[in-house]
Amino acid sequence: MSDPVIKVEHLKKSFGSQEVLHDIDFSIEKGEVVSIIGSSGSGKSTLLRCINLLEIPDSGVISFHGQDILNSSAKPTDYRSKVGMVFQNFNLFNNKNVLDNCILGQRKVLKRSKEEADKIARGHLERVGMSEFLKKPSTKLSGGQKQRVAIARALSMDPEVLLFDEPTSALDPEMVGEVLDVMKKLAESGLTMIVVTHEMQFAKDVSDRVIFMDQGVIAEEGTPDEVFNHPKNERTRQFLSRFLENTKEA
Amino acid sequence: MKIDLSYAWQALIRNWPLFWYGIKVTLAFAVVGTVFGFLIGLVIGAIRSVPVDPLDSPFVKFLKKLGRAITGLYIWVFRGTPMMIQAAFIYYLFRPLVHWDPITAGFIIISINTGAYMAEILRSGIQSVDPGQIEACKAIGMSNFQAMVFVIFPQAIKNTFPAIGNQLVVNLKDSCMMNVISVTELFFQSSSIAGSNMRFPEIYLDTAILYLVLTTLATWILNLIERRISRDESETGKKKKLFMEMSS
Repeated sequence: MSDPVIKVEHLKKSFGSQEVLHDIDFSIEKGEVVSIIGSSGSGKSTLLRCINLLEIPDSGVISFHGQDILNSSAKPTDYRSKVGMVFQNFNLFNNKNVLDNCILGQRKVLKRSKEEADKIARGHLERVGMSEFLKKPSTKLSGGQKQRVAIARALSMDPEVLLFDEPTSALDPEMVGEVLDVMKKLAESGLTMIVVTHEMQFAKDVSDRVIFMDQGVIAEEGTPDEVFNHPKNERTRQFLSRFLENTKEA
Repeated sequence: MKIDLSYAWQALIRNWPLFWYGIKVTLAFAVVGTVFGFLIGLVIGAIRSVPVDPLDSPFVKFLKKLGRAITGLYIWVFRGTPMMIQAAFIYYLFRPLVHWDPITAGFIIISINTGAYMAEILRSGIQSVDPGQIEACKAIGMSNFQAMVFVIFPQAIKNTFPAIGNQLVVNLKDSCMMNVISVTELFFQSSSIAGSNMRFPEIYLDTAILYLVLTTLATWILNLIERRISRDESETGKKKKLFMEMSS
């Protein structure tokens, strides 16, 4: 096994008196695509937000290329710029147009020149199929378009890992496909990705590894074939069967 | 009760140079107070809405809490006492030390006073911006300060523009309190004219009408700007769309 990009050990997080994450161990290697599935409230989004330090864990170690990021002198802003995040609610900068959304971070955080940032932003917007909307205000886009711009914005920072927090959950059904297509292409290009998702088909097709979380612990972990076709854990079986029923009804 | 309207009209014409001087000073106070008050409010409002981050060092945490306490005290005092008292107190307190003239003192006092109101307006504006916006800034590695300046402030200012503009109208009227330190603004001028002619109702009627004209004009201009801001948003979209349709 090669050196993991991110390694999480004994991670614990509580909100008030409720412990949301109990002793999570998890790591991801370069080029890996890991999907995290599980029912609402199982702690999957919290885990993702802890990895990006949007939530601060109560205890445990998060290391990035072997360096402890919670207790080091390294600035959290440096680390965050290397770990991109795509949110469920897109969170595009409402006061900026499409192109400027992808330029701002490059200019202010990576200190790139205007020309370079512009070129890189245009490149990534092209990659997600948004190059015809460069000057459009971000508030005027459809959900699917917003999420594709959000992905381009994250890519513009050249992240080593890209985190996706239920990227299609806030979308109208007809827009889910365009976002998943972009994510599939990214996965094929070798980007390291952690995806919290309810899209089981996507998790099955695209992931190298699937993690099933239940009540704040990793209940099952393995290849998509292992988790979806031969689940060992009773809770996993229940979760998946409930999901299959739902998709049949739909 | 008796009021001679034709005298009021004649007095306005006859004393116009004095009135006009007062109007110019009042306008200057309203504009200076609103602009500098806005800048002060931006800084104070930002200090008051920066969350204490669990990742901060103990020293930074201490600084943030101290900043919040000091700014809280400032807002409490300046919103809780009449500007007239603030003007008199501060002007006479520092006069032996800095030898300032009433106009300079007045500009500073009205700015500090407006700053306290602006701080609360902008704090609420900052807090009304979707928390996801600041999370998105953090997620790409921006500092709190960068997030504030480039993403949060522009949205907060836009959202609270009506309340910010209203401060201009308030200052047009409240600058009259500066007469207490002998600033020659509109009310001070009117008092002099009324006193020297011994015709109070007529002159104060003129004064009231002049204030009403000033506040009406200001409101009208502010509405125009407000409409421009909201139209900009919908129209850039439309124009670009048209452009794209033409170019494709």
